[in-house]
Amino acid sequence: MIANRGEIALRINRACQELGVLTVAIFSEADRDSLHVRQADEAFCVGPGPAGRSYLNIPNIISTALITRCDAIHPGYGFLAENARFAEICSDHGLTFIGPEPRVIALMGDKATAKNVVREAGVPTTPGTSILSSVEEAYEAAESIGYPILLKATAGGGGRGMRVVEDPSELQRAYAGATAESEASFKDGRLYLEKLIRAPRHIEVQVLGDDFGNIVHLGERDCSIQKPAHQKLIEETPAPNLAPAVRASLHEMALRACRHVGYTNAGTLEFLAAGGDVYFMEMNTRIQVEHPVTEMVYNIDLVKEQIRIASGEALGYAQSDLAARGNAIECRINAEDPRNNFAPAAGTVSKLVFPGGPGIRVDTHLYAGATIPPYYDSMIAKVVAYGDTREIAIARMERALRETVIEGVQTTIELCLEVLAAPAFRDGRYNVEFLSNELALR
Amino acid sequence: MSEHCAYVGIGTNAGDRNANLSRALDELRNLGTIAAISSTYRTAPWGHLDQPEFLNLVASLRTESSPHDLLDALLAIERRLGRTAGERWGPRIVDLDLLLYDDLTIADERLRVPHEHLAERAFVLVPLAELDDRFAAMRDALPDSELAGVVRVEREGGTMMAPEFSLAISERVRALADFLSSGDAVRVRIVRENDEIEVARRQPYADRARRANDRTVADSTRLRFETIKADLVGIFHLSRPAPSEGETFEADRELGYIEALGIRTPVHSMGAGRLVRIAAADESPVEYGQTLFSIARG
Repeated sequence: MIANRGEIALRINRACQELGVLTVAIFSEADRDSLHVRQADEAFCVGPGPAGRSYLNIPNIISTALITRCDAIHPGYGFLAENARFAEICSDHGLTFIGPEPRVIALMGDKATAKNVVREAGVPTTPGTSILSSVEEAYEAAESIGYPILLKATAGGGGRGMRVVEDPSELQRAYAGATAESEASFKDGRLYLEKLIRAPRHIEVQVLGDDFGNIVHLGERDCSIQKPAHQKLIEETPAPNLAPAVRASLHEMALRACRHVGYTNAGTLEFLAAGGDVYFMEMNTRIQVEHPVTEMVYNIDLVKEQIRIASGEALGYAQSDLAARGNAIECRINAEDPRNNFAPAAGTVSKLVFPGGPGIRVDTHLYAGATIPPYYDSMIAKVVAYGDTREIAIARMERALRETVIEGVQTTIELCLEVLAAPAFRDGRYNVEFLSNELALR
Repeated sequence: MSEHCAYVGIGTNAGDRNANLSRALDELRNLGTIAAISSTYRTAPWGHLDQPEFLNLVASLRTESSPHDLLDALLAIERRLGRTAGERWGPRIVDLDLLLYDDLTIADERLRVPHEHLAERAFVLVPLAELDDRFAAMRDALPDSELAGVVRVEREGGTMMAPEFSLAISERVRALADFLSSGDAVRVRIVRENDEIEVARRQPYADRARRANDRTVADSTRLRFETIKADLVGIFHLSRPAPSEGETFEADRELGYIEALGIRTPVHSMGAGRLVRIAAADESPVEYGQTLFSIARG
C-alpha cells in the first residue's frame, strides 16, 4: 500500500510496477481525481480533504491495508513517514512498514535524542542542550555556549518553532514564541537550543542499510538553496567545492552513526558545514524529496531498494561496488508565489508542458486540468537534470525549465532560473543564506 | 456522514468585485453543494470614503465539513483569492464569514457561530433573510438608516437570477432528483410558462466521480431522501435479519455494520423512514464516504 499522495505516491507506484508488485492507493475526497488514484491497481478513499482526517487517519489506513490484503506499507515522505507509533501499529497488524524499525525511528526522529545518539558514535553535533525545562535554564546554557544561539522545537520541522536569538535581551520573548508555535504545530512545546552556525552549507548523506548489517552511503547532496523557512528549493550532488577530506569524513560519519543505531532501509543524515567544520544536524528516517539526484549519479533506484530491503533481501553490493558518475541537480516546482512570501497558490492547471530530452527527469502528479487542493504541500513537480559535468547539468536544467509551461497557478520556475543564473550558484559557492539574501535585495 | 447547512457571507471591495464573488462561489463549491445564493447587495464602506463600495451576498452551503474545518477552508479561500499580485501580503479582496452552522452555537478562541455581528450588520442580515425567513424579523428590526445603505444590484451581465426564482428552481430540481433516485425513470422534464427543467440521472461512472457534488439531501421538500454513507473503511455487513429495499421502519433501526480492525461499528437508519436502496454489497469492502443506504423520510 502507498500511504501517501502526489508525486511520491506515483514514484512508489512506478517502483512497484517495475517489481511486479500490485499496489493499493489511498486518497482523500479532495484527491479523488488525482493521478496516483488512477495509476494504482486499487484505490480507497480514507477520509475528507484535511490530512488529519485522511492521510493521517491511521485506523482507516490500516483497515484499508488489511481488507485489500496488503503485505507492506510504503509511507513516502511527510504524513506518517516518521511516525514510530504508526510503524509499530503496522507491525502489530502483520504489515511490513517500509522503513527502519520503530525503535530507530523513535530514536532518530526526535532531534535532541538523535544528537545524543550520534555523539555516542563520535559524530560531532552543534554545541547545544538537551530539552530545556525553563527559560532560566536557557539563559544559563546560552551564556556558556555563546550567542548567537538558535532555539528549536524538538518535534520541529520546516522552520516552525525555531527562533534566532542574537543576545540575552531577546531570549525571553523568543522562548515564549517558539514554545507557543511548536505547541500549536506539533502539540509538543518542548525546546532545546544550540549554537547558531552562521552561513553554513546544508549537506546531507544518503544511506541504505539491510537487515544483515550491511550499510552503504550513496554520496552527499548539497541542499543549501533554501527558502526563508529552511525549505529546500534546489539540491545537487555532488556538493560543489567540498574539500575531499571533508567529503570523506561526512560519508564516514554517516556510516558510523548508522552502524551505531542499527539503521536499516533508506535514510538521510543532515549536516551543517562551515569552514572545515561539520556538525550533525538531524536524520530523516525515510525517502526524501530530493532522492532523484542521487539516483541519477549512482544509477540506483532507491525506492526499489527500499522495497527489496523491507522484503528481507540483502543489499547485494558493498561500498566499493558503488561509484557516482557525473552531476545532478533538482529544482522543486511549487505552486506558490515567490513575490508574495511564497504564499501557496491552489487552483486549476489550465495548460501544461513538461520538458524532456537528454538528461532530464520530471517527477510530478500534475496533468492539464488537474486541480491543486488547498490542504497539502505546495510542491507540484520536481525537475531533475543530469550532466557529466556540473556545467552540463546546469545548462540542461536551464533549458528544461524554459521548456516548462504551467498555466493557472503561480510557480517557482522563474525563481529557480534566477538562482541558476546567479554567479554564486554558477561558481558553486553558496550557503543556506543565499536565497534569503537574494530575495532581500529586491 | 451527515450533511450540515452553513451560511457563508461573502464581501469584496477591491479589484473586479463581480469576478471576486464568482471565484469565491466557485471555490465554495469544492466544500459542498451550494443550495442557494442571495442577491448581490451594494454597501457603502464604513469610515474611509475613498474606498470603493462593497458587494455582499450570502450563500447557503450543504457540507460535510465540521465548523472548524469549514472555517479553515474559508480562510484558505480568502488567502488564495485575497491577495493582490506583487504586494507582500496585500489587502484581502474577498472576505468570507461563516455566519451560521446548523443551529449550533460555538464560541471558542477561533470561531464564533452565529457570527458575532450578525444581528447588527445590514449587509449580512438583508441577504441572509432573503434565504432564510427566520431572520426576517431581525432584519426588520434594523434602523432604516442602516437598511438604506444596502442596495440590491443585478450582477453585471445579468447572470444571477432573482433569488425567489433561483430558490424555487433549486428546490424543484432537488425534488425531481429525489423522485429519480427512488424509481426507474432516468429523465424527467417539466415545462411551465416561463421555465423548463429537465433532470437526468448521471451515468454510474460520472456519479462516482462527481459524488461530492451530487448530494441528494433535500429538507425543503416534504418527502426527503437521505443517503447514509460509510465514515470509515472496512468490511460492510448487513444486519441480520437483513433489511430489504422497500422496507419501512417506524423507529431507528440498525441496518448494518462496518467491521474494521476487529471492531464492529453499527450503521443506523438515523430514525424512521423507508429503505429505498441498499447501495453496498453485503460483506464487501467499503471506502470512506461510500453510499450504503438511501432512505426516504417523512
